[in-house]
Amino acid sequence: MKTITAYKCKECGHVMYPHHYRCLNCNGREFKKISPTTKGRLLTFTIVDQLPWGIDERGRVLGVVEFDNGVKALGVIKAANPRIGMRLRAGWKPVRVIAGEEVYGLTFRKTK
Amino acid sequence: MRPVVVAGVGMIPFGRRDEDSLVDMLAMAGWNAMEDTDLGDRSIDAVYVGNMASGLFNHQESVASALVDRLNLMPAAAERIENGPASGGSAVKNGFLGVASGYYDIVLVVGGEKMRELIGPKATDVVACMTHPEAEYIYGVTLPALAGMFARLYMEKYDITQEHLAMVAIKNQENGLLNPYAHIQMKITMEGILTHPQSHINSPIVADPLRLYDCCPVSDGAAAVLLTTKEIAQKLKKPIVTIAGVGQATDTHTLQERSDPTDLKAVRIASQQAFKMAGLKPKDIHVAELHDAFTILEIAESEHAGFFPKGKGAKALADGETHIDGRLPINPSGGLKARGHPVGATGVAQIAELVWQLRGEASERQVKNASNGFSVNFGGFGNNVLAFVLRREA
Amino acid sequence: MDMDIELYLRPPEMEKPAYPPKVITLATGKPMVVRQVDRDAVPILLQAVKPTLDIERDYYDIVGARVYAELLGWYRYRVRDEFCLIGQIEGLLVGIVNTRSYSPNVDISLHTLAIERGLRIGAHLFAAKMEYSIEYLGRDEVLITAESPIGFRRWMIEYGLEQRDGQHELGGATPYALTRDLYFRNKDRLVAGERPVPPELMEVAEREIIVASEDDILEKILGAKRREIQ
Repeated sequence: MKTITAYKCKECGHVMYPHHYRCLNCNGREFKKISPTTKGRLLTFTIVDQLPWGIDERGRVLGVVEFDNGVKALGVIKAANPRIGMRLRAGWKPVRVIAGEEVYGLTFRKTK
Repeated sequence: MRPVVVAGVGMIPFGRRDEDSLVDMLAMAGWNAMEDTDLGDRSIDAVYVGNMASGLFNHQESVASALVDRLNLMPAAAERIENGPASGGSAVKNGFLGVASGYYDIVLVVGGEKMRELIGPKATDVVACMTHPEAEYIYGVTLPALAGMFARLYMEKYDITQEHLAMVAIKNQENGLLNPYAHIQMKITMEGILTHPQSHINSPIVADPLRLYDCCPVSDGAAAVLLTTKEIAQKLKKPIVTIAGVGQATDTHTLQERSDPTDLKAVRIASQQAFKMAGLKPKDIHVAELHDAFTILEIAESEHAGFFPKGKGAKALADGETHIDGRLPINPSGGLKARGHPVGATGVAQIAELVWQLRGEASERQVKNASNGFSVNFGGFGNNVLAFVLRREA
Repeated sequence: MDMDIELYLRPPEMEKPAYPPKVITLATGKPMVVRQVDRDAVPILLQAVKPTLDIERDYYDIVGARVYAELLGWYRYRVRDEFCLIGQIEGLLVGIVNTRSYSPNVDISLHTLAIERGLRIGAHLFAAKMEYSIEYLGRDEVLITAESPIGFRRWMIEYGLEQRDGQHELGGATPYALTRDLYFRNKDRLVAGERPVPPELMEVAEREIIVASEDDILEKILGAKRREIQ
């Protein structure tokens, strides 16, 4: 499944997403590209009722997920009753239309 | 570095200003600051304009050059300084450095923004352009959404309730009634915005847990300060107020990469720098202007700046310590919540308010015997923060 | 007046149950009484509408001009099945909404005129007239249009209204429909009010519709006072 590309520092093992030219932990310059695991847990979320221009989905839930391998990313949470700590599984779906084109991103569903 | 005096201060009322163009507003505020001082025959050496998005909001660029022309300040140097909602603070910092370094003798700093040309959701989208394009923006993240995610964690960690947040809004809107420059001139009650069973219709969710009255309004406006040396400022028959401390710090772009998402590291570091430079401590401050774009931020910043231990800011608010007649008045101007938040103007407006307070010129909202003031201007969502300490000399 | 001719000129009228008044607690903590008024209130309402005719901002001038005609037309029995609700705070008139009943199934929303701003009064009164049409008059849908971007944002976007073919009677504009389904899905979020209205509040509201002075109305709508500083 297509997903985000995260980066693991070859020097110290620190995991980063999104991309940085130097490791946030040790300033190392070499990284291994990694994918997040399929599952993770919800660190925080919000329910957005006041939308920016270009998004039509009132009540969209956005949240930060920490994947099991340490990658952290923001995505759309498609789970009823989101709760901090809940286990989620990542998907890759259209999240916005920009300049007429669908843009894909992380979406999360509840999982065991 | 030589001492830098804020010798002139000027502002125009914030709010909805359909009739005024951005450069007009900058010019009016700049002119007010020039009128507030006495430069004799001297001319202004440089102009810094704090403005976040004149291109996206108003289809105009290079507004500092335009301002110099509008006020006939040629051949003064001029630049527009951009730092998101901390554009004003950054412009003040750059003006400060110009005078402190000895390179310039007189600098005019004007902050302004004209946001209401765009309909609400479009203005929200412009502000959201600060977020990370790939990791945040595409998901429809807005600044309120980032604040909502932060608030959820912060409130849970430190037992902060919706009531505490509402108290910030109620306090600041009451202060706003005393400030003729404030955008919002309306008293609100706890019942009307929170406790009444139908208050959610008056104050609907913006980005849960933040509601309408937890968020500052979208405003037009401008504020200006004139910075110069002590020698030049001596001619003024007004108390001398200096910028005694300046601090600035950055943090990760995305919220998720903060080492601790509830830790406003940049606020803490910038504040420590400013206090160290001024040779003062938080307990020496008599009045503060903090960046309450969202009510949660006033509480969080009051702790990270060092005024209260972590987790004690809400109690201090509830006990009235930060009220206008309390031990440490925060946002006597009404803050961003009531004074309004034309993004580029805010950082300069905070300095203007502190100068009025320290000079004793704040009329009905005057904090008694204030000689040391402090401000925090919060850029991005806490990833680029400025802090200032102001001191009235003798 | 020759009543024989008059009866030809007056449009027929539908029987309608009355709108039960309610009270809404605003963000300021003050109560706003929302109640239906009858034709005899029109001369007073027109006093409040008149100053708006010169306000270009937010399309108050066209809304004011049209509301003036609608209320006057209703008063003189030349508009069919119109109803009018008003909002009052301690007797002071803060907003007017009106609608026409086109058929037993369809109402046509006319206007929402807010005199006090910053308190969602327009939003509350708009919701009230939708409540009347859907819940008390039993209509299937209400056809709506907007003259101002604020209206567009508060109604079309906020309620998620469905666009319809055809022309709204206000200038032939594109009609949008609030269906029963859309109404009930949004009700908890958008329709406020408690019933019955406490007698002392009702008494003040019914005793007199207080209209602010023309200067005050202009200031409330334009926020003019603070411009005095510069």
